[in-house]
Amino acid sequence: MPLEILGPMVVVGIVGIALLLRYLGLAEPFQLTGEHTRTAWLREIPDDVPKQILIASNRENALLKLASGKLGLVHVMGADTMARYLTDATWQHADTALTLKLDDFAAPHFTIALAPQEQAKWASLRDAP
Amino acid sequence: MNGLSYPDVTTYAVPFFIGLILLELAWIVRKQRKNGYGGRYEMRDALTSLIMGAGSVIAGILLGFITYGFLMFLWRLTPLDLGTSVWVIALCFVLDDLRYYWVHRFGHRIRWVWASHVNHHSSQHYNLTTALRQTWTGTFTFMMIVRAPLILLGFHPAIVLFCGGMNLVYQFWIHTEAITRLPRWFESVMNTPSHHRVHHGRNPRYLDANYAGVFIIWDKMFGTFVPELDSEKPDYGLVHNIGTFNPLRVAFHEWVGIFKDVTQRGLTWRERLLYCFAPPGYSHDGSRDTSEAIKKKHLARHPEDADTVGFKDCGL
Repeated sequence: MPLEILGPMVVVGIVGIALLLRYLGLAEPFQLTGEHTRTAWLREIPDDVPKQILIASNRENALLKLASGKLGLVHVMGADTMARYLTDATWQHADTALTLKLDDFAAPHFTIALAPQEQAKWASLRDAP
Repeated sequence: MNGLSYPDVTTYAVPFFIGLILLELAWIVRKQRKNGYGGRYEMRDALTSLIMGAGSVIAGILLGFITYGFLMFLWRLTPLDLGTSVWVIALCFVLDDLRYYWVHRFGHRIRWVWASHVNHHSSQHYNLTTALRQTWTGTFTFMMIVRAPLILLGFHPAIVLFCGGMNLVYQFWIHTEAITRLPRWFESVMNTPSHHRVHHGRNPRYLDANYAGVFIIWDKMFGTFVPELDSEKPDYGLVHNIGTFNPLRVAFHEWVGIFKDVTQRGLTWRERLLYCFAPPGYSHDGSRDTSEAIKKKHLARHPEDADTVGFKDCGL
């Protein structure tokens, strides 16, 4: 197929499908609850059970203290979730957000909307023995 | 016969891909309004898949000459020429599907090849856009070598590439949850949505199963067939799902992972090679799990699953 036909067809197709999905309400992020968070963690790392869970107020991220003593993050990915240990993560605090940086090309950083009080709670869970 | 050419069926199929995606989406929305379930769509996931598909076409245009040049080099070497009859094309299609089975199996069992194929499995959805989440880096796996026997047997490179394109077009429609099961005779011979859902499942039971492209018989012949169980719905995605919708990260994350692993300090050369070519999940210190280890750990937690489908010969 000539590129001058294929190119515009692909661009219009991609943009059109994306706009249609947005119009249909299929762009709303999943909202975490405590049970969802626990299930989402165990779905990826079944050997390390969550002991404590702190869910961000926008319900798109949760900090977990695990049975191993390590920290974990459950992050909403569209309609789904992913889980990562935060063992070597760098924490960067700002006024309204916390940024977690990981040495992971497939999950490099997460900017999490957190009020200062929430950030203090997350830091407290991080530093708890 | 060096100037032989066939249409690039994957690009001609683009309007049908778009049309069927819209049809599947309409069906899912209608079904869900009736409180049913026939699949899921999410905007960013679908957008990433579609961009990966477009990028794959661009990569093919930019790098396709490498594979084509290699196949034409072999074609000049071989004294055999089977011609261009319909029966030769049909035979080539079947043999090319066997070629696809092995390339696909290597794609899940050799990390170097997995680095290219992983992006196809990186969506947590299973819909027709997932079919288009294709690799940009397939050329660098050098799996074009597996096509060499076909060329040396006398199948013209243009026929082999045409059959490969037809194979990919066939596989588009099986990436759906809208179709549950097809007639038994069809399910027993052909790759179907049900069989391929198993292949995309990250459930321990479904790992490393159903590599078929068009004919499921290869999995049955080589012992990798696992049927979809009504009692265990496939959970789609990767064992450890990625945390990005950025197409560049989706395309290259496993290659970056290989580079980081290989360049670690203090490894032997054997360990560095194993990080490239051992099954995904290999680690020199045992800190990660291969699919075999994941299955064994699952059986330790769920011994009742031992010797059930997907867990035969797991060593427990």
